Amino acid sequence: MNAIVLPVVLPLLAAFLLPSLARIWSSAARVLGPVLMLVSLCVLWTTWGEHPTPFVVALGGFQPPMGIAFHVDSVAMLFAFLVAGGALLMWPAWTDDDTMPRLAALTLLLVAAATGLALSGDLFNVYVFYELLSVASFGLVSARRTGAAFAAGFRYLVISGFGSVLALLGIALIYLRTGTLNIAHLGQLAPESLADPFGLAAFALLLLGFGVKAELFPVNTWVPEVYAGSSARVAGLLAGVVSKLAVLVVVRMLVVVFPHDETRMLLLILGVVGVLSGELAAWSAKDMRRMLAFSSIGQLGMIFIAFSIPGEAGWVAGLALVLHHLVVKSGLFLIADRWGGALQSLTGAARVSPFTAGLFVLFALSLIGVPPLPGFWAKLQLVIGLVENGNGVYLGALLVFLAATVIEANYLFRLAVAMYAEGASSTVTAPSGGNRIGAAIFAAVLVAAVFLLNPLSEAIDDLAVVGNDATGYMDSLAGGAR
Amino acid sequence: MSVLDQLLVFAFMTGAVASFIGDRRFAGTLLAILYFGQFLLLVKLAPLGYGAQPVVSAWQPALFGEVLVWRMDALGWYFALITVVAGWLVTWYASGEWGQGYRERGGNLGLMHTAVAANVVAMLLLLSSGNLLSLFVGWELVSWAGFLLMVMNGRESGGVSGPAGLRYITYATLGAMALLAALAIAHHASGSFEYIDLIDAVDQMTGPTRVSLVIAFALAFTIKMGLLPFHLWQAPAYAYSPGPGGAFLGAISSRVGLWGLAMVFGSLIGIGRIAGIELIPGWFDLRDVFMWVAALTIVLPTFTALRQNDARLLLAWHGIGQGGYMLLGLAAGDALGTGGGLMHVLNHASYQAPLFLAVFAVMHRTGTSDLNRLGGLVARMPLTFLVMLIGIIGLAGLPPMNGFVSKYLVYISLLRQGEPLLFILAVIGTLGTVLSVFKLLHNTFLGQLRVEHMEVREAPWSMLIPMLLMASVVVVTGTAPGLVLDWVASAQAALGLPVLDHTLGGAAGLDMLWVSGVLVYGFAVGTLLFLSGNKSRRVHQFDNYAGGHFLTAENQYQYSDQFYAGLMHHIGGWYRASFTWAESVVIASVDAMSAAANGFFRRTQAVFLLLLATLGSVAWLLWGVGS
Amino acid sequence: MSTTHLLIELVLMPLVAFVVGLAMLLMLRKIGARLQRRVGPPLLQPLFDVIKLYSKRTQVSHGLLHEAGIVVAVGAYVAIETLVPVPGMNGIAEKGGLILLSYLMMVPSLGLALGVGQCANPNGSIGLSRAMTAMLAYDIPFMLVVFGVAWQFQTTNLVELVAVQQAGGIATWGIVENPLLAIAGLFGLQAMLGKQPFEIYVAPAEIATGPMVEMGGKFLGGLFVMQSFQFYTAGVLYTTMFLGGGENWFTFLIKIFVVVAIPLSVAFMFPRYRTEDMVRLVWKWPVILALLGLVVAVQ
Repeated sequence: MNAIVLPVVLPLLAAFLLPSLARIWSSAARVLGPVLMLVSLCVLWTTWGEHPTPFVVALGGFQPPMGIAFHVDSVAMLFAFLVAGGALLMWPAWTDDDTMPRLAALTLLLVAAATGLALSGDLFNVYVFYELLSVASFGLVSARRTGAAFAAGFRYLVISGFGSVLALLGIALIYLRTGTLNIAHLGQLAPESLADPFGLAAFALLLLGFGVKAELFPVNTWVPEVYAGSSARVAGLLAGVVSKLAVLVVVRMLVVVFPHDETRMLLLILGVVGVLSGELAAWSAKDMRRMLAFSSIGQLGMIFIAFSIPGEAGWVAGLALVLHHLVVKSGLFLIADRWGGALQSLTGAARVSPFTAGLFVLFALSLIGVPPLPGFWAKLQLVIGLVENGNGVYLGALLVFLAATVIEANYLFRLAVAMYAEGASSTVTAPSGGNRIGAAIFAAVLVAAVFLLNPLSEAIDDLAVVGNDATGYMDSLAGGAR
Repeated sequence: MSVLDQLLVFAFMTGAVASFIGDRRFAGTLLAILYFGQFLLLVKLAPLGYGAQPVVSAWQPALFGEVLVWRMDALGWYFALITVVAGWLVTWYASGEWGQGYRERGGNLGLMHTAVAANVVAMLLLLSSGNLLSLFVGWELVSWAGFLLMVMNGRESGGVSGPAGLRYITYATLGAMALLAALAIAHHASGSFEYIDLIDAVDQMTGPTRVSLVIAFALAFTIKMGLLPFHLWQAPAYAYSPGPGGAFLGAISSRVGLWGLAMVFGSLIGIGRIAGIELIPGWFDLRDVFMWVAALTIVLPTFTALRQNDARLLLAWHGIGQGGYMLLGLAAGDALGTGGGLMHVLNHASYQAPLFLAVFAVMHRTGTSDLNRLGGLVARMPLTFLVMLIGIIGLAGLPPMNGFVSKYLVYISLLRQGEPLLFILAVIGTLGTVLSVFKLLHNTFLGQLRVEHMEVREAPWSMLIPMLLMASVVVVTGTAPGLVLDWVASAQAALGLPVLDHTLGGAAGLDMLWVSGVLVYGFAVGTLLFLSGNKSRRVHQFDNYAGGHFLTAENQYQYSDQFYAGLMHHIGGWYRASFTWAESVVIASVDAMSAAANGFFRRTQAVFLLLLATLGSVAWLLWGVGS
Repeated sequence: MSTTHLLIELVLMPLVAFVVGLAMLLMLRKIGARLQRRVGPPLLQPLFDVIKLYSKRTQVSHGLLHEAGIVVAVGAYVAIETLVPVPGMNGIAEKGGLILLSYLMMVPSLGLALGVGQCANPNGSIGLSRAMTAMLAYDIPFMLVVFGVAWQFQTTNLVELVAVQQAGGIATWGIVENPLLAIAGLFGLQAMLGKQPFEIYVAPAEIATGPMVEMGGKFLGGLFVMQSFQFYTAGVLYTTMFLGGGENWFTFLIKIFVVVAIPLSVAFMFPRYRTEDMVRLVWKWPVILALLGLVVAVQ
């Protein structure tokens, strides 16, 4: 056993204990989750320092490929880190009322599942964590107990359920062919057994199945309603953090098991359509939550486009976009907690809270990709990557991406200009202190990143090498598990 | 630390000072002094204007394996000089009574100072960019700094500035994305962002790559310059900026587009290679496209300006038209044309800024820039009138002001290349400008003074001195254009363009020293002749021939509305607002697509759709592999 | 050329222009008289008119700019006269050229416009707006003609223009080489001189002589002087462009008087056109002729 399992196991345990604890000592229950997040962060930090990654952890003592394994490399660590950090900053269960225990438990469940997704080295495991994640998010989404929240939750449930079926079908197909679900092992077997229409069909099923959470077109129709109906922090978690884990799963499969032109092309096309549909829909969105939701669909589309670029360039662009979007969109959803309503009500909002409006402008600028903010560097990597690949479809994707950025600038700054409109009085109230602090932290991260661009870029380059190294992933199996 | 670093640091400091204490009473004066410091540092860099080697910044951060380089050459120095002087004088203008008034009207003076300083810093960063990456960084900074200046005037503009700024930033983002595409193409072709590598790679490029590179660059730079058909954003955005800010933007801001095109036409790709891209072989090439766009940009916006009744909009529309002359000269490609085009940048800045400032001085005193609510102010604001007079002669491009010299070079270039149609379009633009600016001057300063303006005073010295300084530039460089042509020639050399052969008095057979000289002589003779007549007596403006009416204060006796009614009878039907229509079509189609996208997300049978998508994807993959 | 020589030329050239210009004014009135079967004014009448106006007792000024406008109107023409070559005197013609001259000739009008504007009389302003419109109208064919001539002779330098035509004889005169341009140029000349049918900006019955409405005494005298310069300049410019300039003063004077006499005679056969009709007229035939002439020139 290894300490690395703690970030998965501890929240899972706590999630079950928390309702009981809340009855006895509610204030302890309220801080339990955030404390655990801190613990997870420490564990991950120390593990990262101790081990030369990648390594494999066999759960229950069974060696892979027979047993259930965690595959821990720096990319997985990064995502686990992001889950814990994001959940800490976006912790949705600070409330004082009786929904707190349930919310906290569900969030812990979500965190455990998400961390599990990041670390899993085996498809069965992935599926289990993915289902756990779904269950937790259903609960969180409908936690507000409003009609809209239930309706959105139901829609989410249906689509997500369908996605799970697809994913399961894909896994079944793969198992049928190879008799294993260990990803590294699959990678070794894939060239003989999965490089045919059968295998590719399995990939398509996996892609669409897991794509539900990754806001992949066309299985993302739940997104606007859910983000508009649930609490802003939950929406932020789903958009900022959870979606990226689903992306990771898909991309892992792509790189290790299905590294074909066709699969990349499928990812690229769905990404392009996602960018188009998301940004266009956001253009005429009437309230801020939906606008952010659609924008996040567009951004996830960009991430898919990035990962569809073969080689390390794709990983560099993809990771940069993932990190950037996580920070920015989380911050924006924190702002949207009280400002999420109709866009018209935000006219003149800058006078209500200049600070919040300023943060919005900062996030918007980075989202559009205005240098020297990090968003620019991320987008630059994407653009270079697309052109380096020279062929027609990638260039088409580039054009779509550029056009989408123009639309993005228009709708984001339409709102910003309205916020600063003179002579209008806004009906909204300033965001709560916690949300403002949270958003300020994300903004600080963003600004700090400008000054740390150099080390960051080096780190991302290293991560990209690891992420793109399919043979390295497979070889980790040979090294044996701890 | 090179002088360039000192300059950039100093400019940053100015911005920092502006943002901290910009709303204090003394801030304007302090900032004006700081700008003057920047100006002195630029003077220290003056050898660049006379052929010295570029100055490189010591600071070269590297990110993702790419280096950001800043290096100022003759071209950048020339533009930077205009920028800093414009920033200096408009800040001076705002430092006294104007700033006071702006604050009293509820404007955020500190933010305005900050925005102007930010614009100057951004421009300096852009103009001294040493590779494509730093160019893009500077480009975006300039765009967004300009945006800040445009949208901050909501109160004063009655809420118009916000939408105008939004329109601008949408166009600007389109331009930025085009530039990003150009960067990507260049990186793909040359493997780096360095200018030198790109220049080497251009020759090896395939035809389509080269064409798309040119188009991407051109799109970015023409949008910024407000060239047709991307000009609609400019006039309202500049007109509704806070006074001095608008003057700064109108003077130099959009000229970075020309700076970019100069680099493309000069060093990066070369006008010869662009002319080599033939669209209709032997008849029409890509360079001709640029020239025709430029010529149409001269004519159409100028005649739009002719119809404006707000002095600010009128000037802003002319600003667009004048950009056409610059591009026309640049695209002409020879020493005369490019020299004229580049010189026109300084000339335009030197008259456009004082014109804006004069309009805002009138607004400061009378509260309006509506050309139908003014008149006769020459008796009350003679110096402001003088500034505007010099400015409009420069703008119209009549001798002996500097605007004539640069346009003359462009005319001669077109003449030598045998382009009669472009030539006549350029002339039509000038004639339209003469009509339009005369209307501006007449309706503001001439005719009957309105009753409510009887007590109006001359603008304060804090506003007059900067205006007069700028106006004196118009006269001095009109008389001795060689002063500027030296810098222009160095810029041409830095770009690898043919260098203009010139003297202090001008070039291509023109000697403005003589022309100005005989004009002074002529005016002296005219004065003598006038004085030889019997002594004249001044009469009141109501003491006028009014066809039998009695003129009183209640009786408006002024001709200003529909000033060119006869002309408009004839050409009024030619104004079709086609570009506005085209823009609205684009917006409507985005709207329709947006509605479609929204409809997709609203669909209730999501699962059905999902199923279809799944089957489709699987089928596509299977088919793809099978074939 | 010595400095003294040049200084003498700078004094002489405007002076000659003034005298010849007055003679042209006289010719205008004589032509009118002959067409109406009258005798017409005596030889020195224009001069007497100028002197009378300058020495009138009532001299009404509407302000400094009113006065400055007249000074500019006259003074700019004085300057212009030093830039057009005449037989034996080139002045500083080589420092300018055709294009400079075309634009410089707008400066006196601008001066006049300023002066009229200060007069604060809407009739004057309406006249200005019409005069400006006329300028926009006729300068388009005129500049096409300028382009054509400059292209034909490959120079904008007036001295060279004259030299080329004189060296080649009548066969190389602009009017022979490119008659279309010459006709279009004549049209432009007509409009430039502001005679019928291009006279709407004066329209005495409608706007009380337009720009002149508040002018009296030496102000009107200044306009008189300005007009004499205008006739002269137009004649010389046309002669330089199309008729080979002046080999000597005798032929030169004949040429310029004939050139000016044509539009002046034509004027008496036309009513005045409305502004839009005038614009339409000028933008049709002269432009077509000039464009055809350009095609010939470029061939």
